Amino acid sequence: MTKRIVSYAVVAVLLIVTIVYSATTGSIKMGFFEFLGALFEPGNSQMEAIRDLRFPRMIVALFAGAALSVSGVLLQSVMRNPLADAGIIGISSGAAFVQLFIISFFPALFFMTPLFAFMGGAFACFLVFALSWRSGLSPLKLILVGIAINAMFTGLTEAFISFGGSLNVSASSVIGSNLTMRTWSDVSTIATYGTIGLILSFVLYSWCNLLVLQDKTAKSIGFHVTRARLIIAAVAVLLAAISVVVAGVISFVGLLVPHIARRLVGYDHKVLIPFTALLGALIILLADTIGRTIVSPLEIPASTIMAIIGGPFLIFLLRKE
Amino acid sequence: MEMKSIIVSHDNKTNHLDGVTTTIPKGEITTIIGPNGCGKSTLLSVLSRNNMPKSGSASLENRDLVMYKPKEFAKKLAIVYQQNDVPKDLTIEKLVSFGRLPHKTMLQRNQEEDHQAIDWALSVTNLVEKRHNDLEALSGGERQRVWIAMALAQQSEILCLDEPTTYLDIYYQIELLELVKSLNEEYGLTIVMVLHDINQAIRYSDQIIMMKDGQIIAEGPPREVITKDVIKKVYGVNAIFKEDDEIGLYMMSLGI
Repeated sequence: MTKRIVSYAVVAVLLIVTIVYSATTGSIKMGFFEFLGALFEPGNSQMEAIRDLRFPRMIVALFAGAALSVSGVLLQSVMRNPLADAGIIGISSGAAFVQLFIISFFPALFFMTPLFAFMGGAFACFLVFALSWRSGLSPLKLILVGIAINAMFTGLTEAFISFGGSLNVSASSVIGSNLTMRTWSDVSTIATYGTIGLILSFVLYSWCNLLVLQDKTAKSIGFHVTRARLIIAAVAVLLAAISVVVAGVISFVGLLVPHIARRLVGYDHKVLIPFTALLGALIILLADTIGRTIVSPLEIPASTIMAIIGGPFLIFLLRKE
Repeated sequence: MEMKSIIVSHDNKTNHLDGVTTTIPKGEITTIIGPNGCGKSTLLSVLSRNNMPKSGSASLENRDLVMYKPKEFAKKLAIVYQQNDVPKDLTIEKLVSFGRLPHKTMLQRNQEEDHQAIDWALSVTNLVEKRHNDLEALSGGERQRVWIAMALAQQSEILCLDEPTTYLDIYYQIELLELVKSLNEEYGLTIVMVLHDINQAIRYSDQIIMMKDGQIIAEGPPREVITKDVIKKVYGVNAIFKEDDEIGLYMMSLGI
């Protein structure tokens, strides 16, 4: 119990410290008190720049981190598989491909991008489910199927970009993740859908807890297993898709964060899901802040940093399985 | 519960249940026995709605099983399976409280009656002192009792048990069967179980259903069902029967 409280407190403090550090560091530097003063001072030009460029980027990073991490928890619960992650098993790349495809051919539908990304993610999720169902969703089989699906959608996206250069799509924003040049309209997109997804996931905690039971046992206590799976998976896809739309594909967050979170606060989803959201927000903001300050003025995308940390971590988990 | 000419086929080639018609009497212990692959677990899975029959009908209180909503049915019948994965980081009490699901709506917290049902389930299965322990730390016999406790928390009238003693040492086997007996005698639960051990079936059952190749060969009170001829016919084993003052009828297999 105390471990939970301490974990929450530590992560909350770290999150605040990181937010302040991130807001005051970069090409424009400020001291903490200078920053506080400037925050409420109208017409401060440095503050204007921070407000227009740095704040949206930070808020997007926070939401993307929370959304992807919670998406990971939900997928792991639905698939009863500790290795599920939207990035690794192809949900993110499915979302990215369909989004790119639709925008290229129907630019007028731009405002519906989140919907198409959701559909792409849902399709990839369905494929992974359908193809690994017969093996009882065994962790390794699911990962293998997922990696294949991921490769397929990533390949499709790359092929699409290479022969569609004239389509005027900023390819880099789809393939990799790049959090630079995010705007307040990006913020409003991810804040709206992200909040909806996160609230839904907090409400679904009791279902996630029940999914630790085998299907036949869960059925025997009157639990609609299939319905619960579908709804939880839909929320997971929504969270992953919205992150893709605004922040691009970031893998491994959904794997790394839930695992650390379980170590710290246990397996009860009532506590785990909110904690994962906090920790995920912290990790991605941290990764992005490090990425843009460490070799400034060059930048390392947050997704690259996550891949560098996440790859070895996945190997570690696979060896443990 | 009643079943009429039930046919079940898992692969659409062979019938795993081939025209089974029987009645499970209320308030009694009914045991299904028979050799491996005879369809006894399949019969139990039809009763518990885990398997839908290809044809025929199963009904409870004169209502077809398919007419029940999941939660409604879970209030009538609970089942404990033979093998259960043990979830990580879950206390006995948490798991047992899952059995209250059919009595609650999605976000409803445990009410007074839920706590009472959980306490009752833990006390009859003798787990009160360990209620805050993790499942992973328990012995096989204790784990089996935890799953039974979860089923009991459903407060159903019927409790089904699929080979509850199979993976247990003899001490825990007896402990478990005594528990089943007391649930029937003291709380009036209707029990339907699958057993392997014929002597345990004789000793703990009011009714026995003897199966072979998806069909019921004989059914009725133990002394009528388990005879030399039936054992020879179903298991292909020559057996002798003895009476003991303390335990009553028991069987010894002689040879094949």
